[in-house]
Amino acid sequence: MRDVARDPEPLERLRVQRSRLADRMRPPWWYLSGAAILWALTFAFPFTSRYLPEGLGLWPFLVAGLAVACVLQWGLTRTTGIWVGIPDLTCQPGRPARIAMLVVSVAAIVTENLLIDRGLLGAAIGVAAVAVVAGVAGVQAALRGIRQNLRADGRAA
Amino acid sequence: MTAKLDPLIHPITRLSICGLLAAGADWVEFAALRDAAGISDSVLSKQSRVLEDAGYVEVRKGAVGRRPRTWFRLTAQGRQAVEGHLAWLAQLEEAVSASAQDVQQARPLPGDRDQPRRVLPPLLGSS
Repeated sequence: MRDVARDPEPLERLRVQRSRLADRMRPPWWYLSGAAILWALTFAFPFTSRYLPEGLGLWPFLVAGLAVACVLQWGLTRTTGIWVGIPDLTCQPGRPARIAMLVVSVAAIVTENLLIDRGLLGAAIGVAAVAVVAGVAGVQAALRGIRQNLRADGRAA
Repeated sequence: MTAKLDPLIHPITRLSICGLLAAGADWVEFAALRDAAGISDSVLSKQSRVLEDAGYVEVRKGAVGRRPRTWFRLTAQGRQAVEGHLAWLAQLEEAVSASAQDVQQARPLPGDRDQPRRVLPPLLGSS
């Protein structure tokens, strides 16, 4: 078996291998589409809470959202062969993007509620659409952060 | 963390496996690890078994449909050993590059014959 003592640059070789591993963490098209659906469900919340029939609660939407999130995460893990754990706000890689997504979500939902209360339905739909685009961009940024962390030997973890 | 040579991780294939598992992912699947390390299935199976027996790597086997899937991750002991070994390698690389730089500086330039001879720095490990 080859020994690192006879190899001139074992660390350089490892950097290349880590870069190869990080490149696998690119999201497939369906992942981003699924993320867009998930964000659309989230930002539809102010509308559904007002315009849905009384009998139909919010639970079906929450369950559907959770199911889509789980399927997306499972699919990404299966496609890439890399499991980075359940992303939360304490997880360092992609953390700024996740915090930004949280702030944008809260701001968008509050704005939508205000606009709906003032009867500006079109503007509220516009805000929701922009928020969905921002959410998908946030998902991409979070994944970019994970890729950078894999390249930088997990130092940020 | 102390920079320390670990003879078990020292061979290049095991260093690749451990280094990739220490990159920040929680679990890495067999094919992903094999492709990133650029090694064959049999080599990965053999070396991962050695690392598993040493308690450095945890292996989880499962199946998706009829396809068997094997996942790897570093144990706490393995992570500590890898980080120490990588730090040791980084120190070695620094020492080698510093020594090469000193030798380069000490080499006489063309037309430097009449100048007093420069003394080469002692080599690492020589007394």
